[in-house]
Amino acid sequence: MLADFGFAILVITFVLAIYTIAAALYGHFAAQPKWVESARLAMLLSFPLLTLAALDLTYLLATGDFNVKFVYEVTSLDMPTYLKVTALWGGQSGSLLFWSWLMAAFTTAVTLRKWDRDREFLPWVILVSSVTMAFFLGLNVFFENPFARFWQTFEGVAAYTFKPENGIAFTPENGNGLNPLLRHPGMIIHPPMLYLGFVSFVIPYAFAIAALVTGRTDDRWIRITRRWTLVAWVFLSLGLVLGGRWAYDVLGWGGYWGWDPVEIAAFMPWLTGTAFLHSVMIQEKRGMLKHWNMILVILTYALVVFGTFLTRSGVLSSVHAFAKSAIGPAFFIFIGATFVISVALLIYRWDSLKAEGQMHSMFSREALFLLNNLLFMGILGICFWGVISPLVSELATGAKVTVGPPYYERAAGPLFAALVLLMGIAPLSAWGHVSLSNLANQNGMEMEKRYALGIARLLWKPAIPAVLTLIALLLLGIRNIYALIGLTFVALTTSITLYEFWRAARARSRAQKENFFLALWRLAGRNRRRYGGYVIHLGVILMAIGIIGIEMFQTETQQSLSVGESITLAGYTVQYDSLAQFQAEDGRWVTRAVMSVFRDGKFITELYPRYDVYADGQPMTIPGVRSTLADDLYVLLVNWEGVTSQIAPFKVYHNPLVNWLWLGSFIFIAGTLIAAWPDEEPEHAPARARKSRPAYQPGD
Amino acid sequence: MTTQPNTAAPRRGVPIWVQVTIWAALLALLAIVAMGLRRAQQGTVQPGDEIPDFTLTLFDGYTYEGKSQVSFAELRGKVVVINFWASWCKPCEQEAADMEAAWRSYQPGGQVVFLGADYVDTEPEARGYLQKFDITYPNGPDLGTKISQFFRIKGVPETYFIDQQGKLVYVQVGPFSSEAQIHAIIDPLLK
Repeated sequence: MLADFGFAILVITFVLAIYTIAAALYGHFAAQPKWVESARLAMLLSFPLLTLAALDLTYLLATGDFNVKFVYEVTSLDMPTYLKVTALWGGQSGSLLFWSWLMAAFTTAVTLRKWDRDREFLPWVILVSSVTMAFFLGLNVFFENPFARFWQTFEGVAAYTFKPENGIAFTPENGNGLNPLLRHPGMIIHPPMLYLGFVSFVIPYAFAIAALVTGRTDDRWIRITRRWTLVAWVFLSLGLVLGGRWAYDVLGWGGYWGWDPVEIAAFMPWLTGTAFLHSVMIQEKRGMLKHWNMILVILTYALVVFGTFLTRSGVLSSVHAFAKSAIGPAFFIFIGATFVISVALLIYRWDSLKAEGQMHSMFSREALFLLNNLLFMGILGICFWGVISPLVSELATGAKVTVGPPYYERAAGPLFAALVLLMGIAPLSAWGHVSLSNLANQNGMEMEKRYALGIARLLWKPAIPAVLTLIALLLLGIRNIYALIGLTFVALTTSITLYEFWRAARARSRAQKENFFLALWRLAGRNRRRYGGYVIHLGVILMAIGIIGIEMFQTETQQSLSVGESITLAGYTVQYDSLAQFQAEDGRWVTRAVMSVFRDGKFITELYPRYDVYADGQPMTIPGVRSTLADDLYVLLVNWEGVTSQIAPFKVYHNPLVNWLWLGSFIFIAGTLIAAWPDEEPEHAPARARKSRPAYQPGD
Repeated sequence: MTTQPNTAAPRRGVPIWVQVTIWAALLALLAIVAMGLRRAQQGTVQPGDEIPDFTLTLFDGYTYEGKSQVSFAELRGKVVVINFWASWCKPCEQEAADMEAAWRSYQPGGQVVFLGADYVDTEPEARGYLQKFDITYPNGPDLGTKISQFFRIKGVPETYFIDQQGKLVYVQVGPFSSEAQIHAIIDPLLK
């Protein structure tokens, strides 16, 4: 009964979404605001309805009603309750419902905002959100019903939404259970974070489309969606980091990122989203890059949908094996329509998106932001080509050529390094510091020179720690040129960012006669977006340290050990003490080794690498890890040549600095919270309106 | 936006050639994706499908009737078992011994040929794998993933059984759990 109830709600919500679309369109074209209002209220209803549907399915999962096919597929009796509940997003149909529910939450939040100043956007924002909603609900209703039940007929047992003729309900005794690889805390929060990131990009996109349709192409849409974009972006970032952590803990290949198509599919919208977060600032401050921002927002949304489609339709093969399903063609049509309509609107409104300002200097902040955008687009291009090349090469040569990690690393590595450096230098620059009339004459050139000198003057102090770092690295015997460049950039950017904080706080503490830390606090409070941004930069830099560490200095060795024997790697001695095999409560067979770790002859710790085999035969390799800020010692028990209690094969990885990657991500989140914390929306007067402001000084 | 009313073209828009390029690129992208989608939807080749000719170049040390290549056309009249595997594939290891044992039981009869196609792999690892499981039936790399693409495999291991008339009779997706399973498929074909 509960299953039928859930399906009924899905159908009602789907119909409601269709009604919302119709009412919004009619209200707009017939100039009848009450219909638009009706559409708005209908949209508000979708959230409580979908909450009911999601709770219904969660209840079925928690109580183990295996008559429902989805429950059968993703849960089993031996799973703990929290895993049964989170199995909601452990399979295709459930995760689609979950996705719709999250989207309903976001659209509700956006519908409840004050619309007084932006009435003309309302029907179009409702329209875009509802079309997206109707599409995802339609997938659930027509292709992937999470509430479909098993029925026994003359032809055997199969899942149907409605009772077939002569059907008798069939309830298996136990479920299939969630894929063991997904039974990990990281895997429980990783998908919702990614979904939240994906789903919340619908809002900026909806506003962008509304701006294009209505022709109100000033930066209002950007100001409204700024915070949404930041929220979407931080969820997406978190999703990516958690996915990496999961891979590191569970997949047992000593790494966190494998340039797999699915990873890249989630990374591409992150790239455009990051570029967008930067370039909107140019539009807000200088009224430039309006076309570009529109393109970026459309691209981000398109990449979200495209990525979801590519990986879920089976078009690209990947370690992220999603169930093959019939949603591919429907998804394809949705994507095609999204692309075509967006591009058509953009071309139609191209002229009204003219820039109000002009680029004056190669070193102005807007120029550096533009460079930042170009670098992000470069990385995007590399990623996109990598993902699409198997399809293209198959078309051209008949052979599917898949590019691997070396391609991405070699092509994108230098661009990442340039981004780190830019992250350090850009905060020193000033917005459009030379006026156009001056540029042509001698005086303009003179100013440009003075400005460049000004930046150089600001640069020399923070450059000292960077040079010292380089010298220290050389003294430590590091000769890897890429690591030297990378770490020097990291040091430079860190010291400039900290120096910026220090300089501004000191100036304030002197001017306001405040204590230095109070000044720092108030300063950050007054310009949250800027200082939050700097904190995010610091987080990214720490992550870069981790990435450089594991990418450049990872070492590994593999050996079969008898009890008492040991492997030595990077100064550590790992000794094989004993082995135990037992069956765990949930039915998996666990083979667990006990290893002693020594350094310089001194005992440090014990590690327990495991090899689990689940009831369905799926193996899982769980590393034993000793983790410090300096390095991770990552020991795997590999089932390569058969494990016995006497002799067992081990693989040992030494991953220097990798912990900084995770540490950096916490700072990254803290920075985003600072930047996105709600404050009073300024009523008017964006910075560029204050034309009379005197020429900026470098570092302003 | 513009304040000068006498501008030659007040609404120039995007130049036509740019528009054409954009639309062409977009359509090309959609076309490529649509083709990929169609292929993905087709699934593996189905029983009853006729298998056209393909050639498997064998690893050093493997031969078929003294040659370092096997052409499928030469095998007409025999039952052909083609197994896709890879050294990085853990489930493949589960069935490796059973496959080899089954091969050894049919080899003297000469009516059945086993072929191993190594999917997306590196040669040293692949050799290590073959050595480890002491695999003796003809094995070779699936160069350019040509053969696996023809069979539209979804992953490894997958095993295809082709009868004496060159028709596909059975597809096993995933590893075999016993040697008997393999016999149960081949033996009816030999009657």
